[in-house]
Amino acid sequence: MYHAIFVSPWPWWVAGPALGLVVVLTAWLGGKGLGVSAAYGSVCAAASRLPVFRQRQFHETWRVWFVAGLPLGGLAAAALGGWFAPSLAYGSLDALTGGSLAARAGLLLAGGLLVGAGAHWAGGCPSGHSLVGIAQGSVASLVATVGFMVAGVVVFNLLVRVLGGLP
Amino acid sequence: MNGPRFLGFGALFGFALSRARVTDYDTIAGMFRLTDLHLVGVIGSAIATAAVGFWLLRRSGNRTLTGRPIELGARPWRIGALWGGLTFGAGWALSGACPGTALAQVGEGKLAALFTVGGILGGTYLYGRVRSRLGTPAAPARAAAAAS
Repeated sequence: MYHAIFVSPWPWWVAGPALGLVVVLTAWLGGKGLGVSAAYGSVCAAASRLPVFRQRQFHETWRVWFVAGLPLGGLAAAALGGWFAPSLAYGSLDALTGGSLAARAGLLLAGGLLVGAGAHWAGGCPSGHSLVGIAQGSVASLVATVGFMVAGVVVFNLLVRVLGGLP
Repeated sequence: MNGPRFLGFGALFGFALSRARVTDYDTIAGMFRLTDLHLVGVIGSAIATAAVGFWLLRRSGNRTLTGRPIELGARPWRIGALWGGLTFGAGWALSGACPGTALAQVGEGKLAALFTVGGILGGTYLYGRVRSRLGTPAAPARAAAAAS
């Protein structure tokens, strides 16, 4: 049992319903549709006086609590699974960037900039739009999700080509 | 005090993201190269589960266990969903992470994700700045409208 929950990889038909269940639990027990990207706006709201950051979703404390839980969950998964070993390694991106930490950091930073701007432009990220939004039948969420996927496939394959292919 | 409860939901979500391998760069790469459809199954079945759960909650009056109204947050149509979605997808391809998985990755000990988190904060701020310069109204407050 321990092995199945914490060690062996979850098949998609366990992992998907588990994520969906957390979405439903957050609504049933917490009364909210979960989302992650607005909490990044809360950090900006604390540091900037731009009126854009005065919107209500950037001042809801439950969002900040929720987002603070995410690294704890990641830590629990790694520690209980027996593979917690902090490092700057990042899967096959290491080989893709020729082992250069600077190239890896630059790519992650640039990707993060687009993710942050895109999430706020779109009004949500894969958790808020693709899970909570589509499950409610929102057209905007469906369109945003198609955008995530189409651009992801196109840009990733271009990137692999430019960087000389995955090993 | 409601906060610690949401810390718990966040921890469960982060744990599930990690166990689902959404935080794994190679799994994301497999999805974008269309060679490993594991994540497509994960996302599809997560949406289906949430949709059934929301439907059951709606049938019972859209109330929490303790009888308070549930606010899922309305997501009205706007063209930004398309342009923002495409921008986001490009960033997802470069970093292999989204706002939630980047934070879960930091907890897992994938410290390179700190660059992603910094980038997302910077992108959020820059978007706010550009929006202010243009003087166009920003995204409507999502939680303002009642849940469907």
